[in-house]
Amino acid sequence: MKTAKELWQSLDKKYLTIFTSVRIADKLDEKFFEEQNYIKGGIAQDLRTDGRKRISYRPIFVETGVIPQASGSARVKLGGTDVIASVKAELGRPAPSHPDQGKVSINVDCSPIAEPTFEGKGGEELSTELSSALQRCLLGGKSGAGAGIDLSSLSIVQGKHCWDLYIEGLVVSSDGNLLDALGAAFKAALANTAIPKAQVAASALPDDEPEIDVSDEEFLQFDTTSVPVIITLTKVGRHYIVDATTEEESQMSSAISISINRQGRICGLTKRGGAGLDPSIILDMISVAKHVSEQLINKLDSEIAAAEACDDEDDEMDS
Amino acid sequence: MAGKSSSTPATYAPSVSGQKKRRPLIQADSDWVRPDGRSFHQCRPAFLRTGAVNSASGSAYAEFGNTKVIVSVFGPRESKKAMMYSDTGRLNCNVTYTTFATPLRGQPPETKDLSSMLHKALEGAIILKSFPKTTVDVFALVLESGGSDLPVITTCASLALADAGIMLYDMVASVSVSCLGKNLLIDPVSEEESYQDGSLVITCMPSRNEVTQMTVTGEWSTPKIHEAMQLCLDACSKLGKIMRSCLKDAASVPQD
Repeated sequence: MKTAKELWQSLDKKYLTIFTSVRIADKLDEKFFEEQNYIKGGIAQDLRTDGRKRISYRPIFVETGVIPQASGSARVKLGGTDVIASVKAELGRPAPSHPDQGKVSINVDCSPIAEPTFEGKGGEELSTELSSALQRCLLGGKSGAGAGIDLSSLSIVQGKHCWDLYIEGLVVSSDGNLLDALGAAFKAALANTAIPKAQVAASALPDDEPEIDVSDEEFLQFDTTSVPVIITLTKVGRHYIVDATTEEESQMSSAISISINRQGRICGLTKRGGAGLDPSIILDMISVAKHVSEQLINKLDSEIAAAEACDDEDDEMDS
Repeated sequence: MAGKSSSTPATYAPSVSGQKKRRPLIQADSDWVRPDGRSFHQCRPAFLRTGAVNSASGSAYAEFGNTKVIVSVFGPRESKKAMMYSDTGRLNCNVTYTTFATPLRGQPPETKDLSSMLHKALEGAIILKSFPKTTVDVFALVLESGGSDLPVITTCASLALADAGIMLYDMVASVSVSCLGKNLLIDPVSEEESYQDGSLVITCMPSRNEVTQMTVTGEWSTPKIHEAMQLCLDACSKLGKIMRSCLKDAASVPQD
């Protein structure tokens, strides 16, 4: 009886062809069983497909002042995810219910250049979801508590004139974790925003609308230390990961996006995904997010400061 | 003296603009007195009935204080457009407000994405595999918006789904908590919601102890979130019991 080794050696290798096949799914969101196991197994062992640990972010790249016509803008690249945020300030009337505050309107647009499915109505659902999550995180409660942006600093003449801020986000390239990238981009764009000083000229008759003289020279900068960052924790199997790529998101059961500010207070929380979560798991995810947020806030602030400094240097060189 | 000429309003609207919003100063210890006399941790009495709409597969009417919602469920029925084959069922949700639901006519609700939030709240509870290739439509109409709208819509929708005979993992109950200064108020009315510093809405399946949706607005510290979640989950389990007894009553009536 020959052993396997002897059998193998006796074969005439000239005629032996070994067939191998590598099955890779055609579409990004279809995964074969083996790929799913690969992703899930890696996460369970704290080694993701790109070599990261469960709680580490991809390298963040921030560039400010990318849109000259906007009052403030920023571009953030988080691995393969690329988003642009722009802030435009326009003169407007305050809402009757809040005469001493300005208005902020947040909108996100998912461009079809990121995904062909975003064309027309396709991206609308995702855009609305992202817009409302960002609104929740940046604008705080109804009374204005916990807001990242101080709305009363936008008021010019109480009850008559205020600044309307239109914050727009554009998704250029999507590789997972859009919400975190947009949150970072909004923070950077607000840091870059320069609102012109508006002088109110006293008019002769008290009934006339006062004239607003918008200065071209003097600007007000926003203080963005109180703007929160957003951390999305994706639950895959029994573990949570931070900053998921598109293929990791395809395996998620649910995700929680938590907005945390510098003081460690939670400014907003949204649960996404259909599967149910045990309440104790949610509380655990909140504490993990707090731990991760400290590093992220410091990293982001230093990146924004570096980008702003770079921007200032360019301006000085031009003038 | 130089009197300001006020423009005559085109339509009559009660209260609004002129008054309002100097929110009553809440000192650190003084308590907010709830307009309807409830205590802070007391929910509004719930009135739930199924079978509100005859032509629908299932329907329910819910009344929590001044918030009145009616939900119809149609299905499982064939998907309208030629959609791709799917071996799980589809859920389609739509939430609309009547024009007379709010104090100002036609005032749109603050959150535009109530439909998608309802979808997310319900999809975790429905056994979609039990009706492949078909769609279940859930239509919610808010007759009067008296505060805490989304939780009432979700609760009513899950009751309507049960009435329609759609297979569910568990009933879905939803409660919201409002934070005013240091106080946590459960099940806020619209006046309290307009003054709130933060809100926490939880949708859960009480018997499975699973949260299907959670939304937090405003600034919270972690212990406060713990407390608010605990309050909500307790209220949800009580609400779940009320929903079950409503369904049992509805089922036992025809046998008489």
